[in-house]
Amino acid sequence: MDISFIDLTAGSVILLFLIGFVGGLVSGFIGSGGAFVLTPAMMNMGVTAIMAVASNMAHKFPKAFVGAMKRHKFGQVDVKLGIVLGISAEAGVLYGAGVQETIRELFGKAGSNLYVSSVFVVVLAIVGAYVLRDAYKMFYSKNPEEEKKTKLAEWVQSVHIPGTMMYFKSIDAKISVLFTIPIGFATGMLAATIAVGGFIGVPAMMYVLGVPGLIASATELVIAFIMGMGGTIKFAWAGYVDIRLAMIILAGSLFGVQLGAIGTTYVKPYMVKIVMGVIMMIALMSRAVVIPVYLSELGEIDPLAPGTITILKNLSFGLLLFALTTGAVIVFKALIKGMREHRAKMAAENAVPGTFSAPEVDVVEHQLSPTGRLERIMLVTDNSEHSESATAEAINIAARCKADLFAFSVLPTPTLGSPLGQNTMHDVEKKAVVDRLLKVRKQAEAVGVSCEILLGHGEEPFAEIVDQAEDSSMDIIVMGRSDTNDLVRSMVGSTAEKVIGHTHSDVLVVPQGGKIEGKGIILPVDGSRYSDAAAVTVQNLVKQCSAPVTIVSVAVDERLKEDAIVHAEKVHQFMKGNGLDVKVDVRVGTPSEAIVASARENGADLIVLGSHGRTGLDRLLIGSVSERVIGNADCPVMVVKL
Amino acid sequence: MSVEHRRAVKRTLIYGTISIILYALLYHFEMDILELSQEGKWNFYIPMLIAFSFSIVHGNFTGQFWDMFGVKAKTTKK
Repeated sequence: MDISFIDLTAGSVILLFLIGFVGGLVSGFIGSGGAFVLTPAMMNMGVTAIMAVASNMAHKFPKAFVGAMKRHKFGQVDVKLGIVLGISAEAGVLYGAGVQETIRELFGKAGSNLYVSSVFVVVLAIVGAYVLRDAYKMFYSKNPEEEKKTKLAEWVQSVHIPGTMMYFKSIDAKISVLFTIPIGFATGMLAATIAVGGFIGVPAMMYVLGVPGLIASATELVIAFIMGMGGTIKFAWAGYVDIRLAMIILAGSLFGVQLGAIGTTYVKPYMVKIVMGVIMMIALMSRAVVIPVYLSELGEIDPLAPGTITILKNLSFGLLLFALTTGAVIVFKALIKGMREHRAKMAAENAVPGTFSAPEVDVVEHQLSPTGRLERIMLVTDNSEHSESATAEAINIAARCKADLFAFSVLPTPTLGSPLGQNTMHDVEKKAVVDRLLKVRKQAEAVGVSCEILLGHGEEPFAEIVDQAEDSSMDIIVMGRSDTNDLVRSMVGSTAEKVIGHTHSDVLVVPQGGKIEGKGIILPVDGSRYSDAAAVTVQNLVKQCSAPVTIVSVAVDERLKEDAIVHAEKVHQFMKGNGLDVKVDVRVGTPSEAIVASARENGADLIVLGSHGRTGLDRLLIGSVSERVIGNADCPVMVVKL
Repeated sequence: MSVEHRRAVKRTLIYGTISIILYALLYHFEMDILELSQEGKWNFYIPMLIAFSFSIVHGNFTGQFWDMFGVKAKTTKK
């Protein structure tokens, strides 16, 4: 077997890094894996086609894994569908890689190059034309079409073949695996040929199976991971992976991908499509011009003069560089112009970019103690039903306390996904979230509450929420509780728990259906300064909305009951001194269970507790009472932070 | 700069350092790695392992890299 790795000089390393960076920049912007520029670029540097594809796959599959995990966090992945398609894609990859090797054995390097280049030209011509048509339609339509299930998808979902049916939650229907197998196989086969499989996978999922676009593009990452790993093993088994090339390109491309993805948020969606289509067409030409070279090497046409071969090869490389440079210039220009305009706009609105308007300083009205202050309320909402009760409560509190309401949502920074519109998907999602925020504002304004809305982007939703609350001086964060309890949630923890662990603002977590109607407040105490802070907060709350208060003090066993009574009595006296009549409930047992039980038995509709704010290892070892109370309580829980 | 932001910067710098070390090791053992990769067969795990570790470390580094310089996705405010 003839496997020769190219020599890497300092110049070629820099060139590879730059190609990686620009390729990443462009692919982050247009949402494609970028293999359609990276594979030809490697081939232009003298790497054989099979090695270029193999090395490309090796740098892509771990990226797909990281991407799939990230999108799963935002609930966009249909894991089952991904695995089912991934397995058949794997078969396609193995078959496709086999075809590659056979062609290489039968027709040599030129044959392999010709095969890959021809597939490239055909696929890029079809997809590029489709993308440009889409851009044209988007440009002339004020309201891009809503996603509709195609007739084909309706038919596929209606077919019932006994023994082959499988349920997929993303489409909420049963589909015969006889439809998924060919889709997966074709995706895998294309991936093994040109290192890009999403060209088939995403549209097939959307148009044939009826999977929503957003989920299709996220699920494709699972397929990309499974088949990428299988393909890499297959190629590496035969010794074709040049890991140096893959890793140098990766070094540059990861810098570029992030920047490109950020760039998409500053431009109109049709612009993204135009850039994508144009680059695909130029990459197509770049491959097409060298086809005569391979044909002449195979003896299919008359031999070309050495001068002609050099010219064609240089022209091919030049076209590719031109495609990349054009893309990079457009992305940079869009990013710089967009950011500058955004900053100017924000400055005019008395806000730092990415934050809510700053509070107006009013010396007379401002409450001095920050404990229990409810002047600036930040509602964190997502597009799910989990945040509906939280929304209603945030509006109620703002109305009752004459506070300002700020509704905030976080979307993942669009990152490398799959071709055919990851960015469009991001726009669809963004529109849904902004619509939801506007609805919240309408709801608030209907009861006379002013509401500012803001949509941020970030890698970690909790960190964005915590930062936003701090930057915009929020007194309390109101958020919903998700009831999902799957493995990933227990591994990464819910967003609410992480926010509580890191923020300095108070947090009100409202479970679905939870309502604060003044039926009763439960105040758990443990003698710490944290529970003292909760007591002060309750006192302030009762001033705004009268409700019977029950102090709950829990001893883990009988021997500590005396201490629990002392703690409860201390707070009781404090409350009494401030003119509040409160009930005392001392219990023995597990603190979180006793608190939740007391709330149920007393018919309370709010639990206010102080947080020790443990994070990291400490929290893992000791656990957090507030976390368990939040997880098990039927009513809203307010966590007071110091 | 908020606490979260400072933590993110620290994390980014740590990943950046590990990333540089990994690349230095790749450069240093270039010939051995190539030789083993070329043999193929059970050595397939070598490029796989390299690809995974580099992606995770370098990905974590670049994920927050631009954020450190204030280059962030656009926020929508109405």
